[in-house]
Amino acid sequence: MVKVGDRLLGYATDPDVRSRGASGGLVTAVLAAALEKGLVEGVVVLKRMDEYEAIPVITDDVQEVLASGGSMHAVPVNLAKHAVGRKIAMPGKPCDVRGVIEQAKRNGVDLESTYIVGLNCGGTMHPVVTREMLVRMYEIDPEDVSGEEIEKGKLIFRTKDGEEKAIPIDDLEEAGYGRRENCRYCTVKIPTSADLACGNWGVIGELAGNATFCEVMNEKGKRLLDNAIEAGFVDVRPADEKAIAIREKVNSAMLSLGSEWKEKVFTEMPDQERLSYYMEQFADCIHCGACKEVCPVCTCGEDSKCTMFHSLADNYRMSMYHMVRLLHLSDSCIGCGQCSDVCPVDIPVTSIFRRFADPAQKKRNYEPGMDLTRPPFLEVMLK
Amino acid sequence: MKESIYTSVCPGCSIGCGLYIREDDRGAVSIDFLKSSPVNRGKLCRFGMRLPHYYSTPATGKVEGLGSGTEDAVRAAASRLRGAEKVAMLSVGNTTCEEHIAFMKLAESLGTVVHTGIPVYAELPPECHPHLEGMPFTDIENAEKIVLFIDPYVQYPLLVRRLLAAKRNGAHITSAGTTELHLAHENRKLSPEQYAELDLDGNSVIITDIHPHTDPCHIRQLLNVVLDTGARLHVVKPFVNSEGVDRLAKGRAGTMGISQIMDGIEKGDIRTLVLLDSDPVELMPDTDRAVEVLKKLDNLIVISSRDSLVNAIADVVIATEHLYRKRGTLINAEGKLQENSGQGVDGIDAMSMLSRQLGADGFDHRQMHGYLHERMIDTLASENRKPEYCRMECGTVPAQQNGACTLEYVYNPFMWFSQPDDNDFVLLDRSMVKSLGLKKGGTVRLDSEKGSMNMRYRVEKVPEGTILTGRKLPIATGTVTKIRTEGC
Ligand SMILES: Cc1cc2nc3c(=O)[nH]c(=O)nc-3n(C[C@H](O)[C@H](O)[C@H](O)COP(=O)(O)OP(=O)(O)OC[C@H]3O[C@@H](n4cnc5c(N)ncnc54)[C@H](O)[C@@H]3O)c2cc1C
Ligand code: SF4
Ligand code: SF4
Ligand code: SF4
Ligand code: SF4
Repeated sequence: MVKVGDRLLGYATDPDVRSRGASGGLVTAVLAAALEKGLVEGVVVLKRMDEYEAIPVITDDVQEVLASGGSMHAVPVNLAKHAVGRKIAMPGKPCDVRGVIEQAKRNGVDLESTYIVGLNCGGTMHPVVTREMLVRMYEIDPEDVSGEEIEKGKLIFRTKDGEEKAIPIDDLEEAGYGRRENCRYCTVKIPTSADLACGNWGVIGELAGNATFCEVMNEKGKRLLDNAIEAGFVDVRPADEKAIAIREKVNSAMLSLGSEWKEKVFTEMPDQERLSYYMEQFADCIHCGACKEVCPVCTCGEDSKCTMFHSLADNYRMSMYHMVRLLHLSDSCIGCGQCSDVCPVDIPVTSIFRRFADPAQKKRNYEPGMDLTRPPFLEVMLK
Repeated sequence: MKESIYTSVCPGCSIGCGLYIREDDRGAVSIDFLKSSPVNRGKLCRFGMRLPHYYSTPATGKVEGLGSGTEDAVRAAASRLRGAEKVAMLSVGNTTCEEHIAFMKLAESLGTVVHTGIPVYAELPPECHPHLEGMPFTDIENAEKIVLFIDPYVQYPLLVRRLLAAKRNGAHITSAGTTELHLAHENRKLSPEQYAELDLDGNSVIITDIHPHTDPCHIRQLLNVVLDTGARLHVVKPFVNSEGVDRLAKGRAGTMGISQIMDGIEKGDIRTLVLLDSDPVELMPDTDRAVEVLKKLDNLIVISSRDSLVNAIADVVIATEHLYRKRGTLINAEGKLQENSGQGVDGIDAMSMLSRQLGADGFDHRQMHGYLHERMIDTLASENRKPEYCRMECGTVPAQQNGACTLEYVYNPFMWFSQPDDNDFVLLDRSMVKSLGLKKGGTVRLDSEKGSMNMRYRVEKVPEGTILTGRKLPIATGTVTKIRTEGC
């Protein structure tokens, strides 16, 4: 039996799952065990299309879960909305987890029946940018890639003929490649609001590459892990002080790098320029609604405030849609980058929303998606 | 909890945006973003975002008003087609190349050709046709000068990001269309004589579209500019596989635009019409008139995946699966071949059955796919990008009468497919709003020879006297309608 607060090293007992897994296959095994033993009715898995493409699906097939291991760094999806109205278990990067927590505050997700296995996250890359980066920076044909991983600040690609090429992420980002912009300044690297927080930071020595560092964050996390151990799906052992210290150290290094990026992206803007900045940024908007559709913290559905006050027939210089959304999301935007990813006219929606929300969140010392007991500052909490 | 995922292409226009269609175990459809698609990075416009609505009305088979399975519908179609004279067949490109080829085979056995509905092809010499294609979107991003004859925001939204990228790369963008565009450096309403002032060269790109109601004269004038300056023409088209069906067309002799087909029906030159995912009621500017004309046919046979307006008046409807479920290839405005992940072959199988009932050979998907690849190799081999056609003259365009107002259609995906959008308003210029004393949030009264109506309006920088609409209006008589509104 594990305890809340335990920090462990573990791996899947099935050698296939372990070797297919990103570090030790523990996450896959925990999810599969939750389904096998009836803790949940389904699991969110990433259905892999190719090295650069995967789509989240919900499955009740344990074998499909067991086959879904591995981290896809060039798949910048957000899984939070898949938890809405369902009794499922899911893996989740910090932005997935934070989306679920914000949904839960508004009764969009029932956390009692939703299990989240959190993954540490250094960032995701856009698949099209990744392909271009492979050709230009790595001189590798994207079709020849058989795997990738991040190690010691370098992004490593392996080709089918066994070659490896590593380039420091800083160099890639200097050249305009690498992680999506929002990931560079993302403020949460270890998903402490998940039920379990898993990653490979802190896994060293002979276990490096084939074990998962796992922290038990709450009672549900304990239930998940106990269930997987009892089912014989995973083995765990306590992590030693050194492993714990390394994980902490890398996390703080990543967070301070993130702060540097934040300063670079969000340069000071004089008050008198703000209004024209927002109007100019949204001037090409075609009001497709995709930024709302993908937003993991938006719980409104069809009848939403931002669309209700908006009409294409209006002659506002900046649409009511954006005016309402900017305000409405100022207490919950987590900077996940989904809105920028899907904007058909390439408006940097995320950085615009972060620029608006950041001062408001900072002033109230409110970090959305991190603490279920903190109500959003603009809304009454339903949970 | 089983979900089915299809990798497909948005049916809204020839940009051909990649996407996922998700079907849950109750058959409900939703979209997801195919971020690795090089065409659109998974991004979709208003139309793409509303595809669940588009896909919510599958076609149902019927014979003379009664619901019917495929076999009975095919049998009924065969008995109407056997010995039928004055047959016309239309496929504008709303389906896969393979289905279109099957339709061409069917046409062959009926001794006729498939029309793609765009009059420009019939009216321009064949050596011009290779110039009426698109180019890789990255070429647009690298152009030095771009002249737009379309409104990309409304008509082909996924071009906007390419144009913005071109702008960041230093391109100078001129809009020569009707509306002022935010992304353009200059917005100029130019007469053809003024095109020389654009000072174009081999690094310039002219972007226009060709659709069933494009004036061939406009295209001739642009081809002349291409001939004079070496600029490249990028042609976008309204239907997902317009590019495919145009490249597949063999000769153009005798092919007709949709309006010519409707004229032919009126005159009695066409008595039987066979449609493959192409609805003249949607495609013609005046819906009521189109229905009246189609009712004059002896036989109206529809092969379709959608329950569109024409199905209601068709004698026979052969229902096929939704586009995303079809197995097959689509070609986008860049000339990129895109494969659907679906495996459905209902359409080809039904046409094969029909062909056999008409005494010709049957066929299958594999054969149609093989034929597509042969044809594509042919078109690539014969590709000729140098302008070698001769200068073409146009008759003089009638000058707009002073003081007259016109209601003009701005064709966009919602309009082509009669899909609902939040565009129940017209665009007016500010001086008209002022002279009519219209209230903010109020309506404007529009009178035409067909009737009158009140419409909400939005103020836009459009030429004086021009009223634009993005949806079909019941008072319209054509793509341009004379309006007798007070103040005009
Ligand atoms: C994009 C990304 C970046 C990461 N960065 C770091 C890091 O910097 N430091 C660190 O310690 N750990 C990081 N991790 C976590 C690490 O890669 C492993 O996922 C973790 O150690 C668990 O390993 P495992 O073998 O137990 O997981 P597995 O058994 O391989 O299971 C991995 C799970 O992650 C899911 N998944 C894969 N890709 C994604 C994605 N893009 N979005 C959401 N879910 C996904 C899979 O569906 C599967 O359920 C990252 C993970 C991802 C997905
Ligand atoms: S936003 Fe943060 S958590 Fe989400 S993918 Fe980027 S770095 Fe990871
Ligand atoms: S506004 Fe954009 S960045 Fe913020 S949470 Fe929503 S989708 Fe993510
Ligand atoms: S995704 Fe982009 S174009 Fe669409 S509504 Fe949002 S900002 Fe506008
Ligand atoms: S631009 Fe065309 S293909 Fe792309 S989403 Fe819009 S309608 Fe569909």
